Amino acid sequence: MKPLLLKGRSLVKGNGRGGAVISQKAFTFAHGVDPETGIVTDVRSDVRGMNVKGKVLFYPFGKGSTTASAWFLETVRLGNSPAAIVTEGVDLSAVIGSVMARLIYSKEIPVVSGIPRSQYGSLGQGTEVYLDGGKGEVMCVV
Amino acid sequence: MLRGDSGEAKQLAMEIVSKVGEAVGADQLVPIKSAHVLAHYSSLHDAGVEVLERFADAGGRFAVPTSVDPASIDLQNWRNFGIPEEYARKQFRLCDAYGKLGGMRCWSCVQYQVCNFPKRGEIVAWAESSAVVFANSVLGCRSNKITAGMDIACAILGMTPRFGMLLDENRKAEVSFRLSISKLSDLDYRSIGFFIGRNAGARVPVLVGLPGTVTSDQIKHLGAGAAAAGPVTMIHFPGITPGSSTVAESAGGNMLEELEVTRSALDDTEEDLNQTSEPPDLVAFGVPHLSVNELGELARLLEGRKLKNGVKMYAYTSSQAYDMAERTGISTSIESSGARITQSTDAEISPLKALGFNTVLTNSAKLAEIASSEGEIKMEYAPQKEIIERVTK
Repeated sequence: MKPLLLKGRSLVKGNGRGGAVISQKAFTFAHGVDPETGIVTDVRSDVRGMNVKGKVLFYPFGKGSTTASAWFLETVRLGNSPAAIVTEGVDLSAVIGSVMARLIYSKEIPVVSGIPRSQYGSLGQGTEVYLDGGKGEVMCVV
Repeated sequence: MLRGDSGEAKQLAMEIVSKVGEAVGADQLVPIKSAHVLAHYSSLHDAGVEVLERFADAGGRFAVPTSVDPASIDLQNWRNFGIPEEYARKQFRLCDAYGKLGGMRCWSCVQYQVCNFPKRGEIVAWAESSAVVFANSVLGCRSNKITAGMDIACAILGMTPRFGMLLDENRKAEVSFRLSISKLSDLDYRSIGFFIGRNAGARVPVLVGLPGTVTSDQIKHLGAGAAAAGPVTMIHFPGITPGSSTVAESAGGNMLEELEVTRSALDDTEEDLNQTSEPPDLVAFGVPHLSVNELGELARLLEGRKLKNGVKMYAYTSSQAYDMAERTGISTSIESSGARITQSTDAEISPLKALGFNTVLTNSAKLAEIASSEGEIKMEYAPQKEIIERVTK
């Protein structure tokens, strides 16, 4: 086992750790994740059926409804949110959801962007990930 | 403001807005002339209610005219539509918070047809993707597609970060869609939009070849289809879009990739959105909200017809168009067929599944796309005239 260090851009600071859930496709929480369980429900998602609760969630881009931030926040309220989010492009739903999670529920969910699929795509599901949101660093134990 | 000098609500709002500004690399915040905020419990959930109440309890007031999107229930007649009391109570908590914050409670996703009338060139912060396309493409104002939470924050501050569609360089067309079909049905406009949304990617499209007879309602549905299928926030319609009288003006010097919108492309789009031919539990018209003109057209199509046994047909509209339809006799014409008009809500944000609607027949590409995304509701997508001929006698 050796660590793989990915360097991205800090969007929301904080520390997070968990097993990786790796999506290669555009992702949305809106009608895409069941807030009551954390299970991915989007029929077009390549991680449908997996649970994001307590995980470090990787996806390239956000998509779909502008309500995704509210769906994300509901997973936080119910204790089923991911521990951290890592994306390639900036997904404003993740940023806004995470900022509201801190303001309303005092919960820290760091967000890092700028890490392309070519860098994280080969990681296995469940890979242990440690994330420093403030530095934009994502450490994967491979 | 971040230190709380202007009250706790403004401080919360500033934390959200400044973080977004930072994330997108905005150089400054700029004043907005109006806002439009989301209000449906089905997506905002209890967390969204708690966010709104937090802003309201902290003394928040909207700083600019702020129209409010539809609710998840018909706020006047929810009992008659089978909405459970407990569900309605949660939606009303959300509504009450908007009362305290000073929202224009029009409960419509076509606010630009009922109460929020910006003029060309104004900067606005609107949520509701279809309205944002209309704002940028037809009204000539400037809006990004504002995300839930950010919408309230912008409305409370009266400001938004300067990025994306607020900047000239991001509004130039980058890809051209050329329409090579002359006769278009109501469904075709929605399918054209959906095709553009699927194929433009993050690029700004220009659409060439729309007939001169195109109505603002048809453009509304075209834009809604595009925004449901992809990240589109503006479509140049040469001759309609302010500042884009020609394709060259739309492009502003950009080289355009050219894509053709053929009959077979639209047929494929239709097929893609069409997932069932089972008898529908619900026939739904109006995502986005029907205008009073469209309600009038529906009344004409339903004239002398009755819904077949067991068929439910709902037409979704704003409270303003609902009232107008009542006063002009349109409602009576529609309801005498057995169809119902429902106000202040819309199909894709109502609890369809809980109401027992597992198969839905519609001419809305946006509804077909959104309602089917969890794989539980099966959608059928067809032209309005064909639908009415099938489900009435």
